[in-house]
Amino acid sequence: MSATPSTNPISPGQPPGQSTGQPVGQPHQKRRGRSKADAVLGLLTRGSAVAILLMVASLLGVLLHAAWPSIRQFGPSFIVSSEWRPNAIERPLIGPDGKVVIEDGETVLETLPPAFGALPVIYGTAVSATIALLLAVPLSLGSALFIVRVASRYRFAGVVSFLIEFLAAIPSIAYGMWGIFVLTPFLQKHLEPMLFRLFGDFSIFGWAFFDSSGRAIGLTGRDMLCGGLILGIMILPIITAVSRDVLRAVPRAQVEGALALGATWWQSCIAMLRYSRSGLFGAVMLGLSRAAGETMAVTMVIGNNNQISPSPFAPAQTMASLLANEFGDVTGELHRSALLQVALILLIMSLVFNITARRLVVGKGSRSSAAH
Amino acid sequence: MRNLISAFALALVALANSIAPAAAPAASASDDIRLAGAGATFPQPLYERWVVEYQKLNPSVKIDYQGLGSGGGIKAITDKTVAFAASDSPLTKRELEAMGGADKILEFPSCVGGVVVAYNLPGVTTDLNITGALLADIFIGKVSKWNDPKIAELNPGANLPDLPIVPGYRTDGSGTTSVFTNYLATQSEEFKSTVGVGKQVKWPFGQGGKGNPGVAAILKSTSGSIGYIEHNYAVQNNLASFAVKNASGKFVKGSPAAMAAASTAAVDNLKANRLVADIWNQPGDEVYPISSFTYLIVYRDLNNLKSPEEARALFGFLSWTLSGGQELAKSLDYAPLGEGIRAKAADAVKALTHNGTSLAASK
Repeated sequence: MSATPSTNPISPGQPPGQSTGQPVGQPHQKRRGRSKADAVLGLLTRGSAVAILLMVASLLGVLLHAAWPSIRQFGPSFIVSSEWRPNAIERPLIGPDGKVVIEDGETVLETLPPAFGALPVIYGTAVSATIALLLAVPLSLGSALFIVRVASRYRFAGVVSFLIEFLAAIPSIAYGMWGIFVLTPFLQKHLEPMLFRLFGDFSIFGWAFFDSSGRAIGLTGRDMLCGGLILGIMILPIITAVSRDVLRAVPRAQVEGALALGATWWQSCIAMLRYSRSGLFGAVMLGLSRAAGETMAVTMVIGNNNQISPSPFAPAQTMASLLANEFGDVTGELHRSALLQVALILLIMSLVFNITARRLVVGKGSRSSAAH
Repeated sequence: MRNLISAFALALVALANSIAPAAAPAASASDDIRLAGAGATFPQPLYERWVVEYQKLNPSVKIDYQGLGSGGGIKAITDKTVAFAASDSPLTKRELEAMGGADKILEFPSCVGGVVVAYNLPGVTTDLNITGALLADIFIGKVSKWNDPKIAELNPGANLPDLPIVPGYRTDGSGTTSVFTNYLATQSEEFKSTVGVGKQVKWPFGQGGKGNPGVAAILKSTSGSIGYIEHNYAVQNNLASFAVKNASGKFVKGSPAAMAAASTAAVDNLKANRLVADIWNQPGDEVYPISSFTYLIVYRDLNNLKSPEEARALFGFLSWTLSGGQELAKSLDYAPLGEGIRAKAADAVKALTHNGTSLAASK
């Protein structure tokens, strides 16, 4: 490190003599002072890098340790069971003949211990994220193409880009407020009743408006649909921003070549998308990982019911919203442990999404920047 | 830039000033007696008011109440890190044993709370009636429309719409849920064996909200919704609520008087060594059926407190909550204890000691 102070990418930016207070006219002294600063800075940066690694490792370690009682108790059935019940239930014991067991004239009771299964929240996370992607991907790709291919001609690409990045900077609670005060009432009072009037009479859409027991689902606007829509709006900026950069990195020659071969403007856009598909897929993965982990806004609009319902108008729960709802006031050690296991699954899922996205986007980005 | 710096400096000065007054008296008046309490959030507004009023009478006693939730309070008193704890439900056998049993621990009711069932039904201006069994059916999902004949039968003349019922419930662990599910379990065998009782249960149907505000938000924004909520919270939010049929067959709306009547009816259920009782579904014409006590918990011998002065201060505060404090409860929409219960609790508090010395005698 001290041997190559001049090639250190950080040291050239440092104003001469500022770090040690050395007068400028003493080159030898100055170099020694600077190399000391280099060493310190080097240690600091390495330290920070290691600290971040340690933080991730300890996060995984702590979650695994805390989730262990639940992992031991439920095993793999944790992710396929849909029973999430923090209370024990005492009920009459039903014998093999299907009748209540009675001994000495008294009904025999059995106690069902608390049970935890994460399937409803895994389902809720998957479906709400899918709705989010259905909304966000076409819009994001469209606006990214617009910025790269159209807006640049009119000089307002900068404005549009800025607005999209600004969307990404809005805190998630603000999206939640917007969801509660604008989106939910709109869905509850206008969109969902309209859909019901249009499709409610068709039996093929019955699953959307009636639950498995034939009860009409109350159209509340706090449901899977609303959760998915809010997520879609929240992941729009990140997918747009990353796709924009990926599309910008497409070599000009590709587009010009396509046009020269007689492609229409539209076909050249398709060629551009096809060229950068792995980077775009990475952008979508980044959006997906944000959608899976988003908490506050979703908790406010998704209805918070741990049940699996095929209807987009039924309340649901995601892993993140379950944690937000229940972690503050757990009813027992096993409950806490089960919640932490959900957090662990969420963390691992996000890691996988992020690693995949990074490989796709960064791999693509560095290749195309080399081509420039 | 300079402006920014001076603004920052100003902010720092302001911050320092705001901290200083709080810190200064603590340093100067070291002979103040400080007591810590923790636990249930339901009675927190009342307890905080009690502390303020009591300090007006006894300026040298500083009491700090933290709303950690009932579970947090019980843990704190078991660890002896607080002088007193508060809980919405009586101690379980295991919790009691962890503290040394009923001989060592005094839990007594401090006031009466109630869970009301509120609804949002546009166009319905009259008060609606309901029974516990019907509430259970609604929360299980067996009755799912407002114009169901079972509801109409109880409310002749009410213009009930053809609207799905959307039940709203608490997603966080809560004494409110515990009281409500316990009451419904007395009313419906099916509810008892499918949903069961507890601070957090698996609701098969409806929408979840976090805390009383979460349920209130569902109620306010959704036509056709129905939800259970703390009485004083429903009052503050102007929510319409049901008159519930009580054990004597009368329909009664939740009010401090009706909840106090529930506590009076339960006076004989309080055992001598444990002043706890479930007071949902009590008989009596005036009784609101979904009522419950909230409890204060202390050691019978206050040796978790270092000095006799501290023990005397706590004794003074606890005695006052059962006399002057009770009047104050009404003004905050909590129900004071029925007289018989209050007397039993006051007697138990009089028996508190510190390292064997009676506190009532030494005062």
